[in-house]
Formats: sequence, structure tokens, C-alpha cells
Amino acid sequence: MAILIDKFARVLIQGITGRSGVQVTSELLNYGTKVVAGVTPGKGGQVVDTVPVFNSIQEAISKVGKIDVVMVYVPPYSAKDAVFEAINAKIPFIHIFVERIPILDTSKMLFEAKKQGIRILGPASVGIISPQEVKIGSIGGPDPNQVFAKGPIGVISRSGGMCSEIAMLISSSGLGQSTVVGIGGDLLIGTSFADLLLEFEQDIQTKAVVAFGEVGGRAEIEAANLIDEGQFTKPLLVYLAGRFAEKLPKDTNLGHAGAIVGMETTIEDKIKVLRQAGAIVLEDFTQIPTELKKVI
Amino acid sequence: MKLYEFEGHEILAKTGIQSPFFVVCESLDEVIQARKRLKFPIVAKVQTLYGRRGKSGGIKKINNQKQLIAFAKQMFGTRLQNEIVKYISVAQYVDIAQEYYISITYDTKLKMPVLVYSDYGGMDIDEVKKTDPDKILRIGIDPIVGPNQKEISKVFKNNTSIAQFILRLWDVFSRFDCRLVEVNPLAKVTNELMAVDAKIILDDSALSRHKDLEVMPKGAISAIPTDREVMAGKIDEDDYRGSAGTTFIELDGDIAVLASGGGASLLLMDSLIAAGGRAANYTEYSGNPPAEKVQKLTEITLSKSGISGCIVAGAVANFTDIYETLTGFVLGLVKIKPKPKYPIVVRRGGPRQPEAYKMLEKFARTKNFDIHLLGPEIPISEASKKIVELSQEYKKIYGNSN
Repeated sequence: MAILIDKFARVLIQGITGRSGVQVTSELLNYGTKVVAGVTPGKGGQVVDTVPVFNSIQEAISKVGKIDVVMVYVPPYSAKDAVFEAINAKIPFIHIFVERIPILDTSKMLFEAKKQGIRILGPASVGIISPQEVKIGSIGGPDPNQVFAKGPIGVISRSGGMCSEIAMLISSSGLGQSTVVGIGGDLLIGTSFADLLLEFEQDIQTKAVVAFGEVGGRAEIEAANLIDEGQFTKPLLVYLAGRFAEKLPKDTNLGHAGAIVGMETTIEDKIKVLRQAGAIVLEDFTQIPTELKKVI
Repeated sequence: MKLYEFEGHEILAKTGIQSPFFVVCESLDEVIQARKRLKFPIVAKVQTLYGRRGKSGGIKKINNQKQLIAFAKQMFGTRLQNEIVKYISVAQYVDIAQEYYISITYDTKLKMPVLVYSDYGGMDIDEVKKTDPDKILRIGIDPIVGPNQKEISKVFKNNTSIAQFILRLWDVFSRFDCRLVEVNPLAKVTNELMAVDAKIILDDSALSRHKDLEVMPKGAISAIPTDREVMAGKIDEDDYRGSAGTTFIELDGDIAVLASGGGASLLLMDSLIAAGGRAANYTEYSGNPPAEKVQKLTEITLSKSGISGCIVAGAVANFTDIYETLTGFVLGLVKIKPKPKYPIVVRRGGPRQPEAYKMLEKFARTKNFDIHLLGPEIPISEASKKIVELSQEYKKIYGNSN
């Protein structure tokens, strides 16, 4: 089992001929993901690794058939057009790897996708991996098995690096992951922390979820609400990073575009609300495996 | 990027939103000159980004030249909530019949722009939220077509000028890629609406498509950026591949930080403080930047004097080429004068990390640098402890300053 995608998903990569596009194509093929087509306007007819390149998504569909997932690997200012092309082609799942997309462009994509019932993961999402099943995006890089192992723990983080970091801690303690999802660092993202908890609740492989929270936004508050409402009943462990920044002036922007000091809520509020809801808020990041073993 | 009030008014004016006449001054002399273009009473306002200017005495109604000179003398160069006052705006005083609060920003839960309105203008909106939450109206905006005019005119049926104002405000918000446009108070002045204040935050990811906007460079946590903050901010300007130095915050500690990754950078800073260290800066590179970007960021970060240690750390990378980025670090390091004698702790993992460490080990040995290499099996918190210990030893030997 895995959440969001399965190993039968047929994937198309937009921007497949770019530096990151070429790299991710081979990584995915090696992991067994079914990359069936790529798109770069003007480069139709080329081949990346073993994947045919087309000028448009429509052309790709007419040649290779149905597409389940589109991955977007284009420059930031081209992302809006690329995503709208995927939305118009009625692709049910769009993963946006691209970082630094203007927020207005993102809000337009998310608005249209929601209207049409299309799921967007990202922007600025490293991807999804269900170890030994499938992966989407650049998560795990060329050698995911060094870090990821199959098991009962769901992992959620805005940050791609922290997805791997948490997975490595879990794997080296002898546990493994059901699905690890990088939800993206931007201010507005298509699939939230709370959306994923609902998915993990339904997944029989997942026994507990670990999330890496950051300063800014109210994602953790929404998650706590789900627990309060009884919609998420499995153990939830959260580590919150960015306490150092609470002393900085309000509106200070940190590494991720969505990590904004004092925006909507503070870390203290998040800790309080999460604890009240029954989530485990960790003080020490390295305690994740020990705490997990207590609850599963 | 957060703008000064006067920069905000200039942008609002582009869509026809009026503000009381004002002149921005940088010196006492300019204030005296500006005064000749206005009639008393006037309003003098310090231009700072982060303070509550009203509450801290930075905004004052002024009735004569003597008061004005006293205010300017008192304010120029002082610190208002840790921010040095460099500009004072001298504005025409207006008789306000009624005040409103109005803003457009993004709602991260609805994932769309939202209009926020309140009849309680001129007050801190966060306070209103606490005391009278039902006095705040929130209306989601379709980002593709803009505000729903039918809905807006229905909600503001007794105040058509507000309905029109909303369209102009949306025009500013969408045309200039704002993260926030806030007018508080929006004032009714003899049947006209005027923006008496203006707060605008521009979307950093869209700045390069608004090169026509004339705004001054800003620091990460203060209005006036340090040279390092300005230089770091320029690294990504014309190259979208990966990012380096997008955020560079000058801090007052002695351990230089080159973090990698948005999430890991926060974890690193928290653990550095927990270990008793004090960071000289916060900065971060990620998304597989080319070596030259990391080189530039290294040179900028280590150009500070008084550094007693440097930590280069990130989480286990997925797609960032560690050999490439650490090569950038080495290229930057060799440019630093005088040659750093302080300890350097590197904690990385991910693609080509073993090759990168082999290269670094040889580099440190042959060029005589004190580099400590920690693999991905060592937690970031341990790496933080290590650099704090090493830098303390370094300070014992060499004192607190180079």
C-alpha cells in the first residue's frame, strides 16, 4: 500500500530536457516508476534516456496513451503555463517540483485545479516515495535505498532534505516508511499537512506519522483540528523548527518562502494546540525513533 | 520584500489611489525645505519597516516649524525598535470623517487571495481580531478574474466608493505581485477615499519581473541592509538554477553559518543555539545550485571579521550534488583574506558526498585548513555541538577577534 500514487501510475515529465528533468528521468526509471513521456515545446522527437519527448501534453497522450501524473520541471516563470496545460488535459495529479514560482501564478493554478478536482502536490515539492513501490519527483535522488526503507511510518515535511533526514533516522533504527511526502516550501501549496493526514488515516500500512513543522502558517493548527474532530486517530509526532527566529522581527522570511516569522501563528501556539489535541511534540529531533517505538 | 510606507504610496498611485501629499526627507535640511511645500498642521512620520510607528512615537501631528525641527532632530539616526531612522516623511494633515481597514493578502488555508475589511480603521487589526472578531470581514478572491463585482457591490451597497476602491487595490495586488497590500487607515476625507498609510510586501519570487518598480534594497531584518545582505540577495538575480543567499540575515554571533535546505537550516540554527553557540548570520542554499553560487555565498558569509568557526551543514540531500556545492565552498574559502585559521565543520549527505569528502580531506591536508568532516550518520545537532566546542577552543587560543 501507498498513499497518493501507486506503481502502475503513468508519468509524464514537463521540462524533461532540462538539467533537472534529464537527471530525474533516469532516477525514476531506475526505481521502476513508469515514465512514459516527456514534454519540452520545440524538442519533440528527442529521446531522454528511453523516454520519448513531445511538443505538448496532448501530442504525448495521442501517441502514448493515458497519463496519470504530470511532473513539472520547468523554469519558474514558465510553470504557470505548464501547469495549466496539464489541468486542461485533465491530468488528475500534478506534482510541481519548481521552486520560486510567483505566488500569484501559484494561486491561479491551485484555484483552477481545485475547481476541476485535480490534485496538486507542491510547488517546491521534492516528491513522494513509497519505499520499494514507487517514487515521484527527485526524492531520494539517484540511490533512495541508502536512506529509505519500507515500513509503517508516514512522513511529511515541507523540506526535501528533512524528508530524507527523518527517513534516515527511522530506517537506521530498524523501522521503515510507508510513504514519505515533501509537500513543498511555498506559501501556498496544493496538498497540505492536513490533507495528507486524511490519506494516512485510510492507509493500512501506516501505523504512525512523523511531521517536520516550521515557523509560519497554520498547517499544524489544521492538523490538530483533524485530531480533535476524530478524523485522524493514529499517533502523530511533530518536530517544530525555527524557534531561533521567533526573536526576529515579524514578517522575516526564512529559507522556505512559506516560513514567515509571526505569520498567522507562532511556534508556541502550534506546540500548545498540537499537544492539547494529543500529538507528540518532540524537543529533540534525534528522539524521533525512540518516541516512535513507544507508540507503535 | 517589505516596503517603506512612501514606496507603498508610490505604487498605490500607479492605479490612481490617492494619498495625502507628502515629501520624503533624509536630513534636517530637507525637512525644512519640504515644510515650505506644505501648510501646517502637517504629519511627520518616520519611515521604518518593522516597528509600530504610531505606538513608539514615530508619527506626530505638528503645528509649527519649531515642533517639526525638534521632531526631526530627535528622530533622525535614533533607533525605533532596533531600526535606525533614516527617512522621515512630511505629509499634509487631512481631516478624517471616517476610517476603515482594508487589505488584500493570501489565505494559506483557502489557498487564494483574500480581502480583509473592517469598519474599525486605524487600529491594529490583530487587536481587533482578538476583541471584535465579528467586525472583520473576509472575502476570498478568484485570482484569475479578480474580485466578484456582484458580491462586492452587494456587501458594500451603502458605500460604493469602497467597492470601487477594492478594484483598484486588487489592481495593485495582482499587477505588482504583492504578498500583502494593506491600507490602514483608509480615510474618508470630504467624500474622497485616501490611503493615509500604505503597507506593501512584494513577492520575492516575482521581483525580477518588476524591474521597473523603483524600490530600495532592503535588509532581511532591518530596513537598511548590510553590504553582505545586499550582495547575497544578488546571487540569484539572473540565474534561476537552485538558490543561494535568498535569505541572508546578519546576526551578532561569531559562528558563520552556511546551511543547506529550508528545513535543515532552521534545525541547524535551533541546535546551534541549544548548544550554546551564537550565529554570525543565517543563510541557506538549496535546490542544487551551481558551484559558483555557493562560492559567492561562501565569500560573502566569511567576509565578516571576528569569526571563530564555520559550519556547513544540511540534511541528507535528494538531488543537490554535494561534490558540486562543496567545490563551490572550497573555491570561496580560498579567496578569504586573511586565510581562515578557525575550525570548519562540514556535515552533509546525499549525491556524491563520499567523493566530496575525499576532495575536502585532501584540500584541508594540503592547504592546511582545520576542516572536520561529519557524515550523514552524525545528527545535525551533534555537528552543532562540535562547532561550538571547537570555536570555544579556538577563542581560548586566539582571543575573541581575528
